[in-house]
Amino acid sequence: MASLPERPPVGLPPLPPGWTEHKAPTGHMYYYNAEIKKSTYVRPIAEPQSFPEPVAPPTPPPPPSYGTAAPNANFDLFNPFAAKPAAPDYNAHPELLNAQAHYEGPSRGHSGRGGFDARGERRPFQNRRRDPQDRPKHRHDIPDCTPWVLVQTKLKRRFVWNKDTNESFWKFPAHVMKGVVEFDRQQREKRERRERGETSDDEAAAAMAEMEAELADEEAQAQAQVVEVDGDVGMENDEEYEEVEVTDDEGQPEEHPSKRQRTEEPQDAPDDQGMELGEDDIAWQLAAMEGEYDEDEEEGLPLTEEDCKALFKELMDDLRLSPFTPWDKILEDDRLYEDDRYKALTNMKARKECFSEWARERVQILKELKANQQKLDPRIPYLSFLHGLATPKLYWPEFKRKYKKEPEMKDMKLPDKDKERLYRDHVKRLGMKSSELRSDLSALLKSQPLASLNRSTTLGTLPPSVLVDLRFISLPASTRDSIIEDFVSRLPPAPEGTGPSAEEEAETRKNRAERERRERALADRERKVHEDKRRQERDLAYGKGRLREEEMEIERAMKVGKDGLRGQLSGYDGGE
Amino acid sequence: MPPVRTQGGKKKPPPEGFEDIEDTLLEFQTRMRDAEKAPHEGKKKYETTWPIFQIVHQRSRYIYDLYYTKEAISKPLYDYLLKNKYADAMLIAKWKKTGYEKLCCVRCIQTQETNFRSTCICRVPKKQLKESEEIECVNCGCRGCSSGD
Repeated sequence: MASLPERPPVGLPPLPPGWTEHKAPTGHMYYYNAEIKKSTYVRPIAEPQSFPEPVAPPTPPPPPSYGTAAPNANFDLFNPFAAKPAAPDYNAHPELLNAQAHYEGPSRGHSGRGGFDARGERRPFQNRRRDPQDRPKHRHDIPDCTPWVLVQTKLKRRFVWNKDTNESFWKFPAHVMKGVVEFDRQQREKRERRERGETSDDEAAAAMAEMEAELADEEAQAQAQVVEVDGDVGMENDEEYEEVEVTDDEGQPEEHPSKRQRTEEPQDAPDDQGMELGEDDIAWQLAAMEGEYDEDEEEGLPLTEEDCKALFKELMDDLRLSPFTPWDKILEDDRLYEDDRYKALTNMKARKECFSEWARERVQILKELKANQQKLDPRIPYLSFLHGLATPKLYWPEFKRKYKKEPEMKDMKLPDKDKERLYRDHVKRLGMKSSELRSDLSALLKSQPLASLNRSTTLGTLPPSVLVDLRFISLPASTRDSIIEDFVSRLPPAPEGTGPSAEEEAETRKNRAERERRERALADRERKVHEDKRRQERDLAYGKGRLREEEMEIERAMKVGKDGLRGQLSGYDGGE
Repeated sequence: MPPVRTQGGKKKPPPEGFEDIEDTLLEFQTRMRDAEKAPHEGKKKYETTWPIFQIVHQRSRYIYDLYYTKEAISKPLYDYLLKNKYADAMLIAKWKKTGYEKLCCVRCIQTQETNFRSTCICRVPKKQLKESEEIECVNCGCRGCSSGD
């Protein structure tokens, strides 16, 4: 509440005649003049200010360019919400209308977005600032009313806006009303069709994107223009299309009875619209309105059960979990909970089922992969191990004992007999002449088919048929590698192979698109949940505020001063 | 005296796919070792064996799930695991029967060991127990393994 003037210190100059001092529900002092029906936060001194400051809406601080302006002045004018809370004031204080209209002009300096919270009047207690600000969200063209556009706000309220004249109304003018009715009907039909699953998602997404782009465009335009907001054009009294807040006290004299008001506040202080309506009424109306709009509201992207499951499975895939892990172990992984997709499925049982389904599928995939993959010959690692360590100085039992801890020696896939035979043969070959060994190696290389051994082969990608041969490891690495490289460089290139087919590519692309759609849908749902939560919190805060207010009221009533009941009695007498 | 034949070079490798589940089995093995060495102070006499039963149950269930529901391991590997006592074959045999799908341990269905020829309290469905009655059976600390729960 930084923008509000502080409570005047104790020793202040007395108020000029006609002004009275009051305490706002927020706890701030304000001053009210019953004669000119104005109220202000600023303590009037000798001369009352020409610009009264309405008390109710504590607003963000006015832009600096805007010295004398009242808090109302920073209403965003494009945004009709901004002006709306003031609309009841128009009825209450016709003389203020001009004044407001007067400073609406210069206030264009303020940004298009910010503005005033439309629900200021709903929350006459301290924490109203926490609530989200309303702003236009979706724009729909109204059929057959070309300049008029139906705008839906973040808080799901709707108003119409004339693109040409830049006028906007909460209440729909008569000719626009017909268009809106028509539009609603179309929307309903569309939704029904979608429920039957006829509309494609792509179409909806495209439309959404287009709409948003347009909206952004319009906002930018509107910021550069002066907009007039007028709430008093002739309107139809159609209940469904009426903005409840505005109409309720329309045309009513300001003095209509309100007991509570009279006891503690001046009856027609400009901030009292909320009080006059009764907070309950407003809350109820807003709730009703929201409900109504909720029904209207297009659901985001549809998120079916299969989508949820697929999302969860993708999460498993992305975390690179092993399908052989038990479920309890999976749950110990913190990364699981950090991901939003974890919440796609709502309960643990579903998650477990989904996991075992995923594991089953995944195991099948792994099995296929393994079947396709060539089995690694256990002789390959063993022979390369021998190549490094075998020596004619050690007999097999000695060698075995010396290196029994090595994984190659412990490998049970290669039986001990084979290991021994390979070792003995290898050691025998090590005693041969190097020229013989060379010719053996080149004979081995020549015997390889061109498909497996060709010019593109490197030392790392030699075919297994070469790797398992004893002739390959007989020479020391340095001479052997140079011989092989030399041989390979003289080979012709590999015969034509086949790359990944177009079908496979299409398949992967389709999968990716599907996945993106699901993720978007999940994000949509998250957002909706957040919004609901926020709304609930707001209602809670509202209720708390009311409770606190009532408590304060009771406290005030219970307070008995030094002179006992006399003070209250005298007040009562005075009232009589 | 017959020649001493060691398993030395004749040891057969485990069947295909054992390396996939080896880590998990090792983990169970460590947990089992810890449970065996856990101090018994402050526990009732019958409580000391509970963790052992629980680990046996979990490991058996893991292998049972892998073979029967996920179909992730082959028959030879499953047989190998049973033969090497990674899973309790008797328990798994019970799980295949209707009404015993969640059985905690074989001892809990031994009617011979009870006074009135009845099963363990953990076999009683929650519905038939008194409201908000928390039970832990004496044999294995099971809190209820009735199929309907």
